[in-house]
Amino acid sequence: MKNFSPDIYKDPTLVARLKQRIAELAQEFKEPVKIMHICGTHEHEMGRYGLRDLLPDNVEVLAGPGCPVCVCDTEYIDQAIQLALSPEVILTSFGDMLAVPGSIPLKGERKGDVRMSLLDAKARGGDVRAVYSVFDAAKLAQANPKKQVVFFSAGFETTVVAVAALLKRGAPDNFFIIEANYFTPPATHLLPELEGFDVNGFLLPGHASAITGIRIYEHLPDYGIACASAGFDPVDVLAGIASVLRQLVENKPGLENTYGRVIQYDGNRKALAELDEVFARSSKRWRGIADIPESGFQLKGKYRRYSTEERFAEVLADPPERSVNEHPKGCRCAEITLGLARPDDCPVFDKLCTPDNPYGPCMVSHEGTCRAWYIYGMGKERIHVEV
Amino acid sequence: MSRYERIRMSHGSGGKLTLELIEDLFAATFASAPLKELCDAAVLDNPGGRLAFATDSHSIKPLFFPGGDIGRLAVAGTVNDLSVMGAKPVYLSSAFILEEGFPIAELTKIVRSMKATADEAGIEIVTGDTKVVEKGKGDGIFINTTGLGFIPDGLKIGPQHVRPGDVLLVSGSIGDHGIAVMSQREGFEITLELKSDVAPLNGLIETVLAAAPNIRFMRDVTRGGLAAVANEMVMRKPFGVRIFDAKVPLHHDVVEYSEMLGIDPLLSANEGKVVLAAPPNEVEAALAAMHSHPLGQQAAIVGDVVKKPEGRAIVETAYGSRRMLEMPIEEQLPRIC
Repeated sequence: MKNFSPDIYKDPTLVARLKQRIAELAQEFKEPVKIMHICGTHEHEMGRYGLRDLLPDNVEVLAGPGCPVCVCDTEYIDQAIQLALSPEVILTSFGDMLAVPGSIPLKGERKGDVRMSLLDAKARGGDVRAVYSVFDAAKLAQANPKKQVVFFSAGFETTVVAVAALLKRGAPDNFFIIEANYFTPPATHLLPELEGFDVNGFLLPGHASAITGIRIYEHLPDYGIACASAGFDPVDVLAGIASVLRQLVENKPGLENTYGRVIQYDGNRKALAELDEVFARSSKRWRGIADIPESGFQLKGKYRRYSTEERFAEVLADPPERSVNEHPKGCRCAEITLGLARPDDCPVFDKLCTPDNPYGPCMVSHEGTCRAWYIYGMGKERIHVEV
Repeated sequence: MSRYERIRMSHGSGGKLTLELIEDLFAATFASAPLKELCDAAVLDNPGGRLAFATDSHSIKPLFFPGGDIGRLAVAGTVNDLSVMGAKPVYLSSAFILEEGFPIAELTKIVRSMKATADEAGIEIVTGDTKVVEKGKGDGIFINTTGLGFIPDGLKIGPQHVRPGDVLLVSGSIGDHGIAVMSQREGFEITLELKSDVAPLNGLIETVLAAAPNIRFMRDVTRGGLAAVANEMVMRKPFGVRIFDAKVPLHHDVVEYSEMLGIDPLLSANEGKVVLAAPPNEVEAALAAMHSHPLGQQAAIVGDVVKKPEGRAIVETAYGSRRMLEMPIEEQLPRIC
């Protein structure tokens, strides 16, 4: 663990050199350059290290659909709430999902178009527990044989790998999952086709690409988009940005791996094989965005018995009343998730919608763009200090 | 010590078993003169001057953790609350809420730890209370401590005395308690070199105030970490605070563990560190005084008070970039990825 994140990737001298390199490359552009990342951790680190401060005015880094919590369809959140309120169920979830509002209206509480979250279900007597991994949820099932333990399996390809590993080795009979895992690459087919999408480069996700590799992004350079996979420390992020800019300057948009210590071009084949054994790809709804073919993970074959949709089919056939709008009124999470709007363009940001009273999903998760902007004070201007 | 191995409802009934518990365990261990009298209230000497008065209730999981336990925490917590007001803590009360079935051997360990911590701080536990709740209605043990301290004349400590140009110091590494305790929680159980820093700070603070009597602001770092203290200092004030994150002392376990879990060490708890704002002409004296004390070996200058942004705490990174340091919102939870 000591070598997990060597200080070199945070080294101020290296950062200063990359900053200089980026500034030099940026001078080659007459028009502003837009680079999109598609990983919530990238946005979080942009904020935590104040990296936008280090970029020239004509280089903008945008947050794309990189937060699994933000794109998780309301159907799964509502399902989790409904199951949590069933007396025989212990509902387990990553902490990040607990406060995300779904589409079941919550009347008479707080201001605005408020929807129920798992925390509201907990306050109404549901047995909801935060876990750190799917393995903890399975242990809980073992310890509570008379209960049905449901794991809200949200997340991208990074987290679903652990679920596949667990199920392949056998899980307790009273253990089930809500299949809310999303696969990132198909979303990158949708983005360049969107009206008004004028991004010149992509920073490919660090964690997710460790599983999938980056070959699956080979379609992006065909749109003239330059791509670089990037890690999360300041040196990693800036190296990724510099790579994208250099490809654009040379007019050779391609696919570069600047995070070679973690990502291999074809990914982690062993994990992918295990994943394919347990899960099939299916069409999934990305909250507020679209149904994207092949972008979801669905249990297949003998593993379907772990699906809540099989085990609780009867309960789920009688869903509670749900709002027709995916996002609450005024919330611009959908556009923000696509990089078409910035958090400070949203009318409820920092007003009705704050981390202690989140209105839309992007304000809940640590991966969410709105939350990162709120807690790190990101905005149009660099923070002004007067001593 | 007791005829029973576990706490029964009768231990809180006010009858014979209660008396036995008080005499044999609490009064015998705490060994203060007022407590031995077994009266309804402690009668205390008053050295005169202004009083500081603080109360704090303690619950923690696990009850015993690397570097401490709930007993040490309960004594140090209140001692520190008094000390950062410039008070010299003198007396403490101790009220227990015990869950039926709680092992008396564990209670004994906790009470002894309270006594050891009180001795370390040079204070007396002079009064107390015991209640027992039914099994399942408590988390083993809750402890409330209330403390009295006396404030020497002439001290002016509080956010209202802070001025732009003042310098922010911390007495040592940040986030130790939070990470040490989290590493022991269910699902982690990782063995770290790191220990909780829980400790009474009155000795350290007395040393600092003797060397730098014009300290403007002091706060012990607890839940919410350095971020909470920085925000409390400037909230609704016509000045802000800037923290240079590269200067904040961090134990390497805190760095690695926070990195692994995606949490911010600046928001992680301490129980034995003080943050203070010193006027520029007393910075060196305050720092030297902390370095001279066993609990202040790693003391460092970590920031300054700025005119703008008003009312906000910000971080300036080693790269020259800036970000807000927001008031913590909730307990930090590990992220999905």
